[in-house]
Formats: sequence, C-alpha cells, structure tokens
Amino acid sequence: MCDADIAPIAGGRKAAPSLARRTAEAIGRHIGEVLDNEEVAARPGLLQRIDPRVKVLSIVLFSVTASLLRSPWLLLAMVLAALGLAAASAVHPASFARKVWGSAGLLAVLLAAPAMTQLITPGPVLVRLGPLSLTTTGVLGAVTLVLRVVASAGIALLIVWTMRWTDLLRALSSLKVPDVVVATLAMTQKQIVSLMRTVQQMHLARESRTLDVGTTAENRKWVVGRMAFVVQKSIKTADDVYDAMLSRGFTGAVRTISRERRPGGQWAWLIAAIVTCGAFVAVDRLVAR
Amino acid sequence: MHIPDGYLGPQTYVVLDVAIVPLWAIAASKVKRTLKAKQVPLMALGAAFSFVIMMFNIPVLGGSTGHAVGATLIAILLGPWAAAISVSIAIVVQALMFGDGGITALGANAFNMAFVIPFVGYYLYRLLAGGSGARLGRRMVASGVAAYVAIVVSAIVTGFEFGLQPLLAHTASGQPLYAPYPLKIAVPAMAIQHLLFFGWVEAFATMGVVAALGRSDSVLLEMKPAARPLRWLWAAFALLVMLTPIGVLAPGTAWGEWSARELRRTFGFVPAGLDRMGNVWRAAVPHYAPAFIKNPLVGYLVAAILGSVLVVGITWGIAKLLAHRDRTPESKAGA
Repeated sequence: MCDADIAPIAGGRKAAPSLARRTAEAIGRHIGEVLDNEEVAARPGLLQRIDPRVKVLSIVLFSVTASLLRSPWLLLAMVLAALGLAAASAVHPASFARKVWGSAGLLAVLLAAPAMTQLITPGPVLVRLGPLSLTTTGVLGAVTLVLRVVASAGIALLIVWTMRWTDLLRALSSLKVPDVVVATLAMTQKQIVSLMRTVQQMHLARESRTLDVGTTAENRKWVVGRMAFVVQKSIKTADDVYDAMLSRGFTGAVRTISRERRPGGQWAWLIAAIVTCGAFVAVDRLVAR
Repeated sequence: MHIPDGYLGPQTYVVLDVAIVPLWAIAASKVKRTLKAKQVPLMALGAAFSFVIMMFNIPVLGGSTGHAVGATLIAILLGPWAAAISVSIAIVVQALMFGDGGITALGANAFNMAFVIPFVGYYLYRLLAGGSGARLGRRMVASGVAAYVAIVVSAIVTGFEFGLQPLLAHTASGQPLYAPYPLKIAVPAMAIQHLLFFGWVEAFATMGVVAALGRSDSVLLEMKPAARPLRWLWAAFALLVMLTPIGVLAPGTAWGEWSARELRRTFGFVPAGLDRMGNVWRAAVPHYAPAFIKNPLVGYLVAAILGSVLVVGITWGIAKLLAHRDRTPESKAGA
C-alpha cells in the first residue's frame, strides 16, 4: 500500500495531517522510490546497457573527480553532463533535477547560504547588506560547494537509479567484495522493504482507528511502543530466516549469485569515463594556475 | 548526520575511508566468532531495523518531531561490534539506494554513526546500568543517558570533520573549497542542535524501547559479551590524548574563557572584579603550555598527558578509598 491509498479527510476545513498519517505517507514515498528504481533500471537507455561492474567503478571515479575540482565552471559542466546522461538514459531531466535538487541540492544551499556573508567569509564585498553583506569569496565558495554536492549526488544517483539492486550485488560480488557482505546486503534490502510495509501498516491502522490526533506524550508512547515491536519482530524474523537457511542445508559458507560476464566492449565506457575525468582534473589544474 | 559527497575534501575522506576498512575487518571477525553462522540474518535484520527506525517520527516538544539513529539501541541489543556492522550496512544501503549520504563520505559516515555511537553508547550503558541483574528503571535511565551522550559525541566528531575543511583546503584568496565553516562555528553548531533537540529524540526513543522490551521480552536486554571493555576504553583514551595537539590549530580562545588581556583587547576594558580576582591563583602550567617546552604542539601534548595522569590518579585514589570503606563493615561483621 502506498501513500496514494490514503484518503483525504472529508468535509470542512482541511485538518493538519496526524503524525501517523504523515509517517505513513513518508514511508509510502520511500517504498515508491524502491519500486521506481526497478522501473527506471528496466527502461531502454544508455546507462542501463552498461555493465554494473563498470557502473560501480564509475560512481567512485566521478565522485572522486567532483571532489578534486576547484573551478565552479567545470563543476557546472559535470552537473549539465549528468542531466544529459539522464536524458540519454530515459530519465526525464526535470524529474531527475527535482530529485537531486530537492534533497542534496536544497540541503547544500541552506548550509552554504550563511557562508556567503561577511560574518563567516571575509573578502571584497559583492552586495552591501550591512553586517550581512555578501562577499565575492563567500559567494564563490558557496556556489562551488553547492555545485560540487549536486554534481556528485546527481551522477551517483543516476548510476544507481539505472541499475537493478540484484545487478548491483552481482557487480559487488565480481569486484571481490566478500560474499558474506553481499549476502547480508541482499537480505537487508528485502527486510527493509518488508519492515517498511509493516511500519506503514501500523501507522495506517492507527490513523484509521482514531478520531483525535492525540497529545505529544500519547503519540510518543505509541511510537516508542511500535519501535519496540519492530525490534522484537526483527529478531524473531532473523531466527526464522536462520532456521529456514539451516533447513535448506546452510552450513555457514555463503555463495552469491553467479558472476556475469558481459562483452569486453562494455569497458569502453570505463575508459571514456577515466579519460573524461582525467581531462576535467587536468583542465581544472590549468585554470587554477 | 549523513554527510553527502562534496562537504569533505580528499585529505579527510581518504583518511577515513582507509581507516574504516580495518575497523570493519575487526568487527566482522568479532561478529563471526560470537554469532557464528547466524551472523548473516542477524546482521541483515539489524541493518534493516537500523534503517527503518529512522522512519519513525518521534514527537518531542511543541508539535516538532525528529527521528532517532538507533545505533545505541542496536548496540545494547546486539553488542557494539554487531551494531557497527549493522549500522554500516544500513549506511551503505542508504547511500546506494536512496542517495542519503555520499560515496566518498562512506568512511566518515560509518565512523561517525556506526562506530562512535555504538561504542560510546554501549560502554556508557554498561557503566551506568551495572550488571545484568540491574533493575529496569536503572537500565532505562542508563540507556537514555548513553544514547544522548553517544549522539552528541558523534555530532561533535562530525562537526570537527566539517570544521577542519577550511583549514585543510582553501584557495589563495581564502575561499574554502569544501565545508565552509571553521571549527569555532562547525563544532558548536553540530553540538548545540544535538544537545538541545536530536539528543533528546535519541534518548526518548532508546529509553522507551528499553522500557517496553524490559516489560515484555527482557531476555533481549541481557548484557552481550564485551571483549575486555576497559582495554578499549584505555586505547580510545590514549588516542584522544595523542590527538589533543589538533586543538592548537583552532584560532582564538574558547567562548567565555577570555583572559583579562583578551577582554581588554576586545572590549577596551576589564571588569574590576575580574581584574582583582584574575591574579588570585597562578596556574602551575598556564595556557596548557609548560614553560620548559618551546614547541606549542609538544607543550599541548605534554599538558594533556600531565592532566590525564593527574585526573586518573585522583579518581583511582578515590575509588580505592571508597572500596576500602565498603569492605570495612563486612570485615568487621566477619570478625
């Protein structure tokens, strides 16, 4: 059940949503994101065709490159490149931009804004606003930070978005990440979705059975009680899963899904990515001089 | 508290990414030894629980809500090493699946949330709750205090990582390249929001869940075996002492700890009472700088060692005295 299933309160002035309703809606959005990932990864597009192992290495490569760049212009070029890649991978640039700017971008803007003022970053004044005058040094620093955060988050999110979770696990396994870690990650993802559904249903059940929004203390007591229930359910499920594993002959050795081999041409993307990132860093160093 | 990519420079994230690998290896080997084959489902469920607990909006004051990290709670339930792995996996899933927290910052996020919180929280809980036979009330208070302190310590560590950035990476004109706030802003900003708000959310959540479990399923609260906790506490203590010279990097004086000279320079006068009382006591090692050492970094380190030895010595002496007093009535009764 997703957030769309929750009916609005009928009649009169629209009441503020209760805590249970808000939480259920937020969890619904998270479950929706997990399902969206699978749907986007199934679309025909540029990034969807690339080997997951190459994509995992690319995330690291692009994130490190973004952290090394100092020129805001080159960071802006990375942001625009991410938008171009989104369009080529059947991801609508507007929804992609909304997702990146709505989370990492917005947080970076809020965090960087005070650093533009004379109070935090001294330097030549750009806009006079009394004690809160904006300085050139501060504005440049804030713009660089925001662009760096958006460029890193955008490319990482786009690559993850266009990759099935199972493909990601297979890639990690191929890249010699220990099998026990891959198996735990695989099980974690399934349990997260299952527990999120349980928690959402708890909140929806409360919402549908109460008329009053309740006091802060009552709500806190209820929420904490549900958290304790989730602890008990988690530990009981772990026992059940372990029993099920034993009954199927589990002896402690973890084997993950077979390692997939894809055509060697896939690595052309990685070489192109390395060359592009190298060029970005080289140009950045030249500009810095 | 999840640090996205872009806030930490390579000098910081590379160090933390490299440092976290052996910590994960140690944690994995400890967990394998204690949980055996059951580790995979228990770690997965621990990670899933760690992820989902952040979804609960906990009402605090005046209609505001916040979410708990739950790392202290997981450490109380599974032990600190298992909690370190579980919370780390939750952080990896959050970064890879939801873009919450950065890829280059994985090491920093895992260190701050998956190691600092479980270890500080767990050992503080053990210290305050006493043995397994402790009453539920004491355990509740212990868990709340431990969760509160652990998240505040983690916030201060995060603030410290942010605050180091302008010192480590800036252009010739002073423009910071990563997180822009210096230590004197980043550390108090992180500490204050956790002292005033998020710490309470964490404390309420942990205390409440411990209370609920204590009433319905107290087996879950049995103390987990900890490998020589004191050894780890001493190691952490020694590490902190060795790191003290970093404090010299911070410019200015701590807020409210100004000397008469600094007050005169800042405000143009010194309050008469402060001027009169300021010279009543002459410290043996003023400004944490022993007179016989010229290098300020070495001086700061020596002052830290001297102070630590004094504090530990006095505490040890008091503890011995109290233990002697506790034994005396029994020995009298025995006689």
